[in-house]
Amino acid sequence: MRPFNYLRAESPAHAAAQAATVDGARFIAGGTNLLDLMKLDIETPLHLIDVNGLGLDKIETTSQGGLKIGALVRNTDLAADSRVRRDYGLLSRALLAGASGQLRNMATTAGNLLQRTRCPYFYDTHQSCNKRKPGSGCAAIGGVSRQLGIIGVSDACIATHPSDMAVAMRVLDAQIETIKPDGSVRVIPIADFHRLPGNTPNIETALGAGELITAVTLPAPLGGTHIYQKVRDRASYAFALVSVAAVIQPDGNGRVALGGVAHKPWRVEAAEPSMPQGARAVAERLLAGATPTHENAFKITLVERTLASVMAQARVQA
Amino acid sequence: MLDEIRDGIPSHVSESLTDQPQLIAREFQERMSGNICRCGAYSNIIEAISEVAEVRA
Repeated sequence: MRPFNYLRAESPAHAAAQAATVDGARFIAGGTNLLDLMKLDIETPLHLIDVNGLGLDKIETTSQGGLKIGALVRNTDLAADSRVRRDYGLLSRALLAGASGQLRNMATTAGNLLQRTRCPYFYDTHQSCNKRKPGSGCAAIGGVSRQLGIIGVSDACIATHPSDMAVAMRVLDAQIETIKPDGSVRVIPIADFHRLPGNTPNIETALGAGELITAVTLPAPLGGTHIYQKVRDRASYAFALVSVAAVIQPDGNGRVALGGVAHKPWRVEAAEPSMPQGARAVAERLLAGATPTHENAFKITLVERTLASVMAQARVQA
Repeated sequence: MLDEIRDGIPSHVSESLTDQPQLIAREFQERMSGNICRCGAYSNIIEAISEVAEVRA
C-alpha cells in the first residue's frame, strides 16, 4: 500500500473545501471498500479526509413525514431503526441482505452508495479496465461475465453497481443531499445520482470534485407491501446475481427496481403501470433493449421469475 | 449476538421485521455469517450458542 496523508475534517464544509484543495483526496467513512481497494493498489489516494465524527450519524424525521438519514449512519443502525423497519421495510431488507454483520457495523449510508463495482477485471490490476485505467479497454467483454451487466452497458464497460441498499432507495425515490467545496448545498434525486458507463465508466456518480454527501432523505412512507428479494450463488454473504426491490399496493400497482443488472440501480417508471398484468409484462418493459453476454443472458429469465416470486409474495402478504 | 436477538433486531432470515426474532439455529447461522472464517455453519458452534441461549432464556 502506498503512503498517504490523513486529515480529520472539522465539519462537512471543511471536508469538502479540503478535498478540493489537495490533489488525490478521498473521503473516508467506514473504509469497508476503500481500504480494500487501497491495499490492492486499485485506489491510490494521496490524502484521506476522515468524515467520521462530524455529527452526520443521525436519523431524523422530516417535516414532510419522511426520514433524513445522515451520511455516516451505519448500515446496521439504519436496518435496525424502528421507523425504517415499520415504514420502509424494503430498505431494512436490502441492508440485511448485504455483506456481513461486521461489515454492516462499519459501512455507512453514503459509502454504500459510493462503493465500487466488484467486477473481477476491475479488481485484477493485470487486466485492462476502463473504469480503473481509462482508455485501457475492457477485459470483461468477452471474458468471464456471469455476474456482470445486461442493460445500460457500453462497449467500454459492463460492470454492475453492487449495492443492495441503493436499489431499495431507488424505489423509495431517495434524495441525496451534498455540500460542495464552495459551501453551497444541493439535492440530487437518486435517479440522477449514479451514471451509466458510456465512454467514461470511471465517472460513476453526479458528484463534482470535492462534493460530500451529507444525508439521504426519504419521502413520506408509501404504504403497501415491501419486498427485497436477492438471488445469489450462496444464501449469505454474496453479491446479487439479480435482486428485485418492490413496493406493491393491495390493488397490484406498485414500484420496482432491479439490482445486479446494470451500472446503477435499474428502474424504469414506464414499466410500472404494467404491474397488475404480471411479471412478464413488467420484465419485458424493464429489460427492453438489454444486451447480455452469452454467460449472463440467464439473468433475463431470472429477473422475470424473481419478479413473479415477489408479486406472489405480495399477494400472500397483502 | 443473543443480546441483538433479544433486543428484537431482525436479520435477513427473520420472517418479520417487527416481531421478536426467534432463538433458532437459522438465525444464529445468518448472524454468524462472515464472522468465523466466512463459515456460519460450524455445527458445534451452533450447538454452543443454542446451549447458552437456553441457559439464559
